[in-house]
Amino acid sequence: MADKQDFLRMVRTSLGVSERRDIARDDATSFFLSKDEVSQAADDIRADAAERRTELIDEFIHRATEAGWNIHRVANFEDAAEEVTAVVREHGATAVMRSDHDILNSVPLESALKAEGVDLEIAVREPSDDADEDLERRLSLREKSFDSEVGITGVDFAVAETGTVAMEPRAGSSRLVSLTPEVHIGVMTPEAIIPSLDELFALTRDHHLSGEHKGMINLITGPSRTADIEANLIIGVHGPREVHLVIVG
Amino acid sequence: MKVRTDEFKARSAETTKNPRRQASLKLVYDGLHKGRIAAAEDTDDWEDQRDRARAIKWHTINNLDYYLDLLDKNVRANGGNVYFANDDAEARDYVLGVAKANNVKTVIKSKSMVSEEIGLNEAFEEAGINPVETDLGEYIIQLAKEAPYHLIAPAIHKTREEISDLIQEVAGGPRQEDPQDLTDTARALLRDEFRKAEMGVSGVNFAVAETGSIAIVTNEGNGRMVTSAPRVHVAIVGMEKLIPSMQDLSTMLRVLIRSATGQRISSYVTVVNGPRKAGEEDGPDEFHLVIVNNGRENLLKDAQLREAMLCLRCGACLNACPVYRKAGGHAYGWVYPGPIGAIVTPVMTGKKVGRDLPFASTLCGACKDACPVKIELPTLLLRLRSDLAEGKADPKEKSSPLLERVSIKAWRFGVQSPMRFALAGRLSSLMMAPLSRGGWVRWLPPPLSGWTKSREFPRIAGKPFRARFRKKQR
Repeated sequence: MADKQDFLRMVRTSLGVSERRDIARDDATSFFLSKDEVSQAADDIRADAAERRTELIDEFIHRATEAGWNIHRVANFEDAAEEVTAVVREHGATAVMRSDHDILNSVPLESALKAEGVDLEIAVREPSDDADEDLERRLSLREKSFDSEVGITGVDFAVAETGTVAMEPRAGSSRLVSLTPEVHIGVMTPEAIIPSLDELFALTRDHHLSGEHKGMINLITGPSRTADIEANLIIGVHGPREVHLVIVG
Repeated sequence: MKVRTDEFKARSAETTKNPRRQASLKLVYDGLHKGRIAAAEDTDDWEDQRDRARAIKWHTINNLDYYLDLLDKNVRANGGNVYFANDDAEARDYVLGVAKANNVKTVIKSKSMVSEEIGLNEAFEEAGINPVETDLGEYIIQLAKEAPYHLIAPAIHKTREEISDLIQEVAGGPRQEDPQDLTDTARALLRDEFRKAEMGVSGVNFAVAETGSIAIVTNEGNGRMVTSAPRVHVAIVGMEKLIPSMQDLSTMLRVLIRSATGQRISSYVTVVNGPRKAGEEDGPDEFHLVIVNNGRENLLKDAQLREAMLCLRCGACLNACPVYRKAGGHAYGWVYPGPIGAIVTPVMTGKKVGRDLPFASTLCGACKDACPVKIELPTLLLRLRSDLAEGKADPKEKSSPLLERVSIKAWRFGVQSPMRFALAGRLSSLMMAPLSRGGWVRWLPPPLSGWTKSREFPRIAGKPFRARFRKKQR
């Protein structure tokens, strides 16, 4: 087994440097910004995005459409429920799952889908202190995710530059609901939109430095795709074939 | 993986004569190369982004010991494990150890070029563990038992008929040739593997030292499956793939993805911050990061060749290269083809791999223009040529052949006086006259026959340019 210190010594010898040295600040990387500078930048980003809201919405919709999202703009949560139900109906789906993202608790999805005869499953498990039992519950949730036809989630950020939505999985917000079903529907408000990837990673870095470290950040831009067979673009490989964003407000 | 770089000439000659492979290689240019140009035009400050990415990578490589140490600490702080592997055997043994400790029977893999380097799939098979490549291109070449043909389009050389045969052999049923049908069948086959696999193995596009994160760029969604569905996730990374801060990801992702496929961003970017945190609904309980040297120190040691460690493995230099686009990916004989492969392969594997690779370039510079981090690929190739010529690269290999040295001396003598130069031109033209037709020479005697074996040589003009220019001036 290669010892870490031996490995680092090999790297230092190769670089021709000694162990004790300060690395010189280089402003090409954001690494040297202090925690406060990052927090301040994050606040500025939020303020700036609020000011440029209309412009950002247009750019986001343009780029998201280009990337293959189906965009639905609606006035309120009731209409959002209607849009989601219409997609479910169009696919004749019966196995529908949603995450427990905050915004979805404002959308009257359960009743709208019930009227179609669809029982909406919520992708959460009852955590257990017993490790084996907890694993079993997670595995059962995983099975259900794989069996679902439509997955509905909220989004944490939307990036205008690229038409990307980003999610940080956590309790109530599963990784698989936006991945395993053939159809994914994201529900968001315009407040989620930020200008570019620069702001996205400034904000997630701020989360991290403030101790809110999540297990993953998922960036999703349109449907799953491949060009591996004679460079033909094919939509829908391992992830969803069809993706929708419902923008409320 | 076995190094077969000494077969470059034979294997590239085979490819140039194969019309099906030549048609595939054209796709690389029309799809990926032109896509990159369009994506660059659609980015306002493209050149600034490239310069910044280059500066970030240089800073990291020049302080690699510092950032490796930081990465190690932060992955551990996130609840993950880190293993430093000096060579391929150490890396394989560690990953196998993790698999055995977890009673793993099936491993799902998303694309990892380092895992090709270390021969991981063969090791799994020998240990009775079933490795399943899940990127469609990688799945196809795994079925074909071949090496990747391109860094990001591993099965680009396979025709739909060939893919159809491979998939039908596994899936049975009626023969399908439509790419959509073939993809659907592969999706169904791999779904079962995603459901049951106990362990996922992935590559890494960027490892973020400050947060102990890894970023994985995919389009199919297999990278997300591999990092989210199984109970154990092992990520394998070459020791050069670090960046200091999470905030650096924006620049790095832009230049990587836009140079690789021409997309503004890929369908998925997955940033993994260690194992599932308490309370999260899904994700792996165990996370392992394997950091691999495997000959990279040979690049690091050399102040000039070190620049090759900036490489993001986007494949843009392959798409731009007129030699790759004729010779094909397998001619390069190891894991990394194209201009970057011609540099890193001889150096990482120890240089005793013949003279072919550093000479598999016209030095036209298209690779450097395409490179997202502006690596001086032609300069590095020239450097390797000079090492070979001076016997530095391989002491067993004599410096350049006698004939080459004599020819260069003769050339030097000829071009040092205007009179001798003019005379040589006249003589060559006269000698070529009986061999040429319509201004082109189809056959030259040895030792010049090497040129005319595969292409024609333009006849040297009877009246030199200087003479015509003087006449014009009058």
